[in-house]
Amino acid sequence: MSDAAMEISGVKRNDRFTRGSRLVDALSKAGLAFAILAVALYGSVVSPAFFTSGNLLNVLTSMSIVGIVVVGMTFVLVVGGLADLSVPATIACGAILSLGLQPMIGPLPAFVLAVGLAGLIGLLNGVLVGYVGINPIIATLGIGTIGLGIVQAAVGGVIVYGSNPASAEFAKGRLFGIPVVVLIFLVIALIGHFVLSRSFWGRWTLATGGNYSAAEASAVPVQAVKAGAFVITALTAGISGGLLGLTLQSARPLIGAGYEFSAITAVVVGGVSIIGGFGSVPRAIAGLIFVQLLTNVMVLDGVRTPIQGFVLGILIVGAVGMDAALRKRGVA
Amino acid sequence: MRFLSLASQYRVVIILGLTLIISALVVPGYFSASTLGLGLDRAATIGLIAIGLTVLLIAGQIDLSGGAVFAVAGIVSVMLQREIGILPAAIVGVLVGTVAGAINGALVVGLKVNSLVLTLATMLIFRSLAHWITNSQPVTGTDIMLSLALAKIYLEIFTIRSALFIVFIVLLHFWLTRTIPGRNVFAVGSNPAAAKESGIASDRIVFLGFVFAGTLAGLAGVLQSLVTNTGSPVFGSELTVAVIAAVVVGGTRLEGGRGSALGTLGGVLTIGSLTIAMEFQSVPAYVQQVVSGLILILLVVLDRAVTTKGRAPGTRPALISDNPVTQGEST
Repeated sequence: MSDAAMEISGVKRNDRFTRGSRLVDALSKAGLAFAILAVALYGSVVSPAFFTSGNLLNVLTSMSIVGIVVVGMTFVLVVGGLADLSVPATIACGAILSLGLQPMIGPLPAFVLAVGLAGLIGLLNGVLVGYVGINPIIATLGIGTIGLGIVQAAVGGVIVYGSNPASAEFAKGRLFGIPVVVLIFLVIALIGHFVLSRSFWGRWTLATGGNYSAAEASAVPVQAVKAGAFVITALTAGISGGLLGLTLQSARPLIGAGYEFSAITAVVVGGVSIIGGFGSVPRAIAGLIFVQLLTNVMVLDGVRTPIQGFVLGILIVGAVGMDAALRKRGVA
Repeated sequence: MRFLSLASQYRVVIILGLTLIISALVVPGYFSASTLGLGLDRAATIGLIAIGLTVLLIAGQIDLSGGAVFAVAGIVSVMLQREIGILPAAIVGVLVGTVAGAINGALVVGLKVNSLVLTLATMLIFRSLAHWITNSQPVTGTDIMLSLALAKIYLEIFTIRSALFIVFIVLLHFWLTRTIPGRNVFAVGSNPAAAKESGIASDRIVFLGFVFAGTLAGLAGVLQSLVTNTGSPVFGSELTVAVIAAVVVGGTRLEGGRGSALGTLGGVLTIGSLTIAMEFQSVPAYVQQVVSGLILILLVVLDRAVTTKGRAPGTRPALISDNPVTQGEST
């Protein structure tokens, strides 16, 4: 999985950097695997409920909802787009519309339309960031605020309930003993991984994030690639929101609050560089597994929600700081 | 393009004027002293945070954690009232803001991380802290009469809050345009490498900028909590976009190196009068969010259009005429 990433960085960067980067690569990967093991070990010691199939299945299901967004967010970070803060808006868009439109056009068209409209929000983000050149965080913050406001206005600021039990059964159901949500996550993760590591689009994404001017000079359509990352994130967030709405059978406007931070934490903890040009979907998912297990252990341990947010914040600072430090060593 | 850059230069005046005219048309009695005083008082909260953000943006940094610091400082100042009395508690509350700013500054300077990403993380940390220490419940203070005293209107129009805001913005104007440290902030923001070569301690200025911004967010939070006699972990969560919008309306650039205190005053008054006008029309909160988001995005796009096309490549942006600091800096 990392062969492709190494190959790309080998082509792009000089020999000295590649050596440094390989060391950093091995370190960060082994470190994360070790951390996941440590958390799992700690969890099974502290709480007898940790290693039960019920608990792990719960973790897997909640991880899948965030995980779908993580796949998109990886593209945003790799392309050098910092972060997409409009995720709560796109998730709300996906959840509210896929439930709210059910009576009118049926569950599947409602879902597709919801994801499409979420993608439209992403297109706005993408145009502002990629073509107009606005700071991604400011652009997505503004567009997210507008989008969330419009979605709230559309439903009058109230909670929307589902009206199609069959679709709920499907979203909550299992296929070959695995929850459908988890399967959808796996499919999206595989597609995301394939696109980022094996396709021309992924190569362009890595090149744009690594060195914007060089990529531009090499005839990479940098503006479109940058915009595309935000569209991908919005689509994945829309899907995630739609699934969330179908499973809960209710959607309030603030349903997606906090998901942007969970996704960003997973991606940066996975070792994807916040500066761009480096990272892969499996790395981000490893980060996601670590963060989710840690959260789960904290929940089983009776740690209150605010403290969990606190820990997430510190994880972001630590991961970003470490990334900056390691990168400096690799380049210098 | 000449028209666009002119419009961009005087946009504070244009936008503020338009806002006032529209507000006056839809709200009867808008220009009465009590309505204006109310608007000014409302604007002061955004304004105090915006003052700190103006300095940071000029220095090329940003602080997204202002709203969360606002909440924590207010909570601390209310919770400590029983133990140490109202005034010491208020001072501790403001100092909490200072410490939060120092943490932001130390991390940005020390880790050399993009301040957008870092303050995003510290925003999450401070917000969680606010929920943590309050158990996610609002806390109330000891003296209800104090909030009445603070909300009292002097000279028909000023509350203590809005008077403080006006005084600070005037001080900031003179500090930015007439003093050497103020000039250095512009130098750091427009070209950090050149500023360093010229012997300006960039890191120290950036650090102090964060401390300043944190302190003012703390002050705003403490005042809000004293006026409402409440500290709540959800206070200030909708402020981030409004504050950035206010500063950007005032002509301060997200790219750093440009901005002015008087511009921020205009921006804050614009957002304040818009809020009041919409509240008088009982426009729902989420529509107000859409409006401030739209203003922010439109102006940032306008800024981009003017900077990238209005000047030859490689030259500094067109200088603001009333700002001697940026003009003298090119030597």
